[in-house]
Amino acid sequence: MDPERAGRRAECDGGGLIMGSHYAARQDFTGTLTGEYYDEGDPPWRWYKMIELTRKPNDYPFESVWCEAESLFLIENE
Amino acid sequence: MTQDPLHTKLCDQLGVEFPIVSFTHCKDVAVAVINSGGFAVLGEAMHTPEEIEADIKWIRERIDGKPFGIDLVLPASAPAESSLDEISSKIPESHREFEQMIMEKYDVPMPKESVDLHQWGGLSQALGRAQLEVLLEERVPVIASGLGSPAFLLDAAHERGSLVWGLVGRTRQAKRQLEAGVDAIIAQGFDAAGHTGDMGTLSIVAEVSAIAGDTPIIAAGGITTGRHLAAALCLGASGVWTGTLWLACRESDIDMIIKERLVAATAADTVWSDSISGFTMRVLKCPWTEEWKKPEAPRPLTSPYQMILSSDYIQGANDARRADLMTEASGQGVGFVTEMLPARQIVSDMVEEALGVFDDLVGLPD
Repeated sequence: MDPERAGRRAECDGGGLIMGSHYAARQDFTGTLTGEYYDEGDPPWRWYKMIELTRKPNDYPFESVWCEAESLFLIENE
Repeated sequence: MTQDPLHTKLCDQLGVEFPIVSFTHCKDVAVAVINSGGFAVLGEAMHTPEEIEADIKWIRERIDGKPFGIDLVLPASAPAESSLDEISSKIPESHREFEQMIMEKYDVPMPKESVDLHQWGGLSQALGRAQLEVLLEERVPVIASGLGSPAFLLDAAHERGSLVWGLVGRTRQAKRQLEAGVDAIIAQGFDAAGHTGDMGTLSIVAEVSAIAGDTPIIAAGGITTGRHLAAALCLGASGVWTGTLWLACRESDIDMIIKERLVAATAADTVWSDSISGFTMRVLKCPWTEEWKKPEAPRPLTSPYQMILSSDYIQGANDARRADLMTEASGQGVGFVTEMLPARQIVSDMVEEALGVFDDLVGLPD
């Protein structure tokens, strides 16, 4: 847990590979960080969990998303 | 003018003659561009770690120690894992019916084999990680990230002598990556092939260049001529990232039918459509993209549903090699791709034209 990020609103310039293609595309999210994170591998590649999504791609089927740390932008004035 | 306008800090960073970067999925194109004085980045996002290792070896055997790059797609977000069957079951019947209407109207054959849709979800991080391990182990001269931020791997890459480049579509992404210390930023505009942000190339290159300090900026999106190269340098870039330019070149391994379509196409023959993947991407117009634009068409779904819908059309068209159905990602600069030239000549033509522009504007050194 990262208590300093828990409850913070943030935007994620997300995205990744598109299934069935060699294309990549952006997916934008806005939501609330839970503070949960995990590090993938070494050097650590940090991912934060975002919930209460107020912006997400149309038809996005999930209630949460993992966001790469450097692709997160905290919203300062909310 | 007292110096060669095409000798930029990107040339110094790479030790190459010309600030022209080819982004390609074809090894032969990469080798040809590198051996012509330019630089090439091979797109390997869909390859296994073993395939990437083999490709790196293949390239190294043909470029006599010159530098090259490998591009991966580092994910920036990841949903919970979900099975393909579960995802497919959520596609509305209205969309299935519209897909079937297009398939029947244009007599699109079904794919010869079922389309292999790689699993969607959390696996993307693990795959990206395994691919990166190969690049670090092989000490690839340039590691390029085509989407997510590569900041986390900077120290590991630099310790091995590798440079790290990041591709951005928004200025704030560039600012974040510059602060982290990436070695170059590829600023990609709306004119580009495939999935792009919504900022035009002119705007994003100028904005990112303004905050880049000494870090080279590489302009991307719609760049296919020496005039584009000269313009990009005038905007503050230190080089250009070119993709569509190489699709129809002689060394390119894409289908000859697509090459012929590219050579005949202009910017107006491209479309920014979300009908293929669910994300807006620039491709050559085809019946699939045009049908989804009609008023009676349902709104395209998001990824991955729309890709599931379009995959039979795309693969069926490719399998049957139907020129009237096939499509390919293409940037708006495609109108200047008018011949299937050798890569060496493309590099040479681009350089000569850019120098001509500078000569006309301010004169060239003797």
